Amino acid sequence: MTIEVRGLTKRYGEKTAVDDLTFTVRPGTVTGFLGPNGAGKSTTMRLIVGLDAPTSGSVTVNGRHYARHPAPLAEVGTLLEARSVHTGRSAYKHLLALALTHGIPRGRVAEVIEAVGLAGAARKRAGGFSLGMGQRLGIAAALLADPAAVVLDEPVNGLDPEGVRWIRTLLKELAAQGRTVFVSSHLMSEMALTAERLVIVGRGRLLADTTVAEFVRSAGHDEVSVTSPEAGRLRELLAGPGVEVASDAPGVLRVRGVGAEDIGLTAAAHGVPLFELTPHRVSLEEAFMELTRDAVEYHAHGAGRPAEVAA
Amino acid sequence: MSAPSPVAPGPGGAGTGARGGAGGYRVTYPGVLRSEWSKLWSLRSTWYSLAAVVVLAVGLGVAVGATFTDGGGDGPQDPVEVTLLGLNFGLLILPVLGILTTAGEWSTGMVRSTMAAVPRRLPVLWAKAAVFGAVSFVLMLATALATFPLAQAFLADTPIAAGLGDPGVARALLTTAVGAALIAVLGVAVGALLRSTPASIGAFVGVLMVVPNVAPLLPYGWVEDAVAYTPLAAMQPLAAAHPAPDLPGVGAALVSMAVWTAAGLAAAALRLRRSDV
Repeated sequence: MTIEVRGLTKRYGEKTAVDDLTFTVRPGTVTGFLGPNGAGKSTTMRLIVGLDAPTSGSVTVNGRHYARHPAPLAEVGTLLEARSVHTGRSAYKHLLALALTHGIPRGRVAEVIEAVGLAGAARKRAGGFSLGMGQRLGIAAALLADPAAVVLDEPVNGLDPEGVRWIRTLLKELAAQGRTVFVSSHLMSEMALTAERLVIVGRGRLLADTTVAEFVRSAGHDEVSVTSPEAGRLRELLAGPGVEVASDAPGVLRVRGVGAEDIGLTAAAHGVPLFELTPHRVSLEEAFMELTRDAVEYHAHGAGRPAEVAA
Repeated sequence: MSAPSPVAPGPGGAGTGARGGAGGYRVTYPGVLRSEWSKLWSLRSTWYSLAAVVVLAVGLGVAVGATFTDGGGDGPQDPVEVTLLGLNFGLLILPVLGILTTAGEWSTGMVRSTMAAVPRRLPVLWAKAAVFGAVSFVLMLATALATFPLAQAFLADTPIAAGLGDPGVARALLTTAVGAALIAVLGVAVGALLRSTPASIGAFVGVLMVVPNVAPLLPYGWVEDAVAYTPLAAMQPLAAAHPAPDLPGVGAALVSMAVWTAAGLAAAALRLRRSDV
């Protein structure tokens, strides 16, 4: 079953949260939904399950609007970022209330509680849950109707390392069972570990619709920093197709498209002295940051990194 | 830990629409009703509030009955109105609890889970109204049936002595419960319309309790007439065995209350359909 997003746009007053998004999420793989905070990921997920209505465009799951399915929870199981549980109700009663709407037996409720590791806390009020327990309860709700697709908004938020590993395994298993798995994150490193496909957004717009492997290939261009008293001459010697040379300071070059070895050989062949020759590996995180730099909503002052501000 | 799935979908996660979900699941009205029933009783506030309704009604009924003195003061002189005085607390507690059943969904975020499970949304509103209306009716009727004879046990030799078989008494107990249920459902509607517990309680107290008390100060006779048909005022003839002649008739009072509640539900339904949750 596929989730098809077509020209999806959502405006809240003056603010455009999602801007003409088009992409398709396919079954059998984990698709990462990546973007800085405020990029429109949560809004897109709310639009998928019809909590918000699009300003224009459409989103269908399994060929139909989510609300038009006879058993919506069996189509898409959702974990939303914002907590979606009555604080006064126990985990068991919360899941039971959802199960009853679809005629899902009580046994299945107990099963998902067991599966997410909440068996010991199932009778406690959800209001007293830690962030990690809340996430587990949300994931139990998403899995409740044995859905063909799961849409999870930042599922590893608040989980301990054991929980994070569990989520990674779970996502891969769900995909391996042929389900559609759509999972958002603002951490490239997390997605690199679990996702096969990537949908990257910034300021509500689509920045990339690719695979992790492709993204790594395109982003993995290593950079070599070279210091030389004859930097100008070296720059001319290195020039060629696919080679990018930049300079931040006199005598210092940043070279892309040529390896450190070749730069050293070229310099030696032409008698250019080198003071420094250092290869840098561009990390996925850096490549992602570069892609989304202009699309970051909140910058920490003085640093070009997205600040951890809740949107 | 492993993935919790007894039923793996077919290769490629083949479409599920035709069979209505992997487990043959389906959203149905009875299912949504059962869900709302379970939701109501799985919150402690429900038990506390409903217990308070009963205790206050029975307690005050007995107290009034035991201390009633003929001709003392100018309180109500109706055999039902006097004994069911404590049921008035129910008329305040029930709508507030009704507000909590809907506005509480928004204040806690539960509404996102609820509406993701029932994305057509309106069945949730109807189910909440039906469940809470029925619970309120049964509770108020049972409380009235218990309180009336208990309080009357003290009133044997007074002018307001009456039994269940006396004219107007059974009707008054029944219409009290019907009216209380309608006001309770109005609370459900107001909570769904305003989506905030404080705003809903404020609106309920303001519009239904304060305005009807203040409006008659205006120098227009029709205002006073109109106020008699506001929900809480309309409870007066419903709760009396022999309503005062200047009050609206029992039938008119019931109809006006039903109209208020229906209008509230219609407004709530409109907002639920139209706006994001």
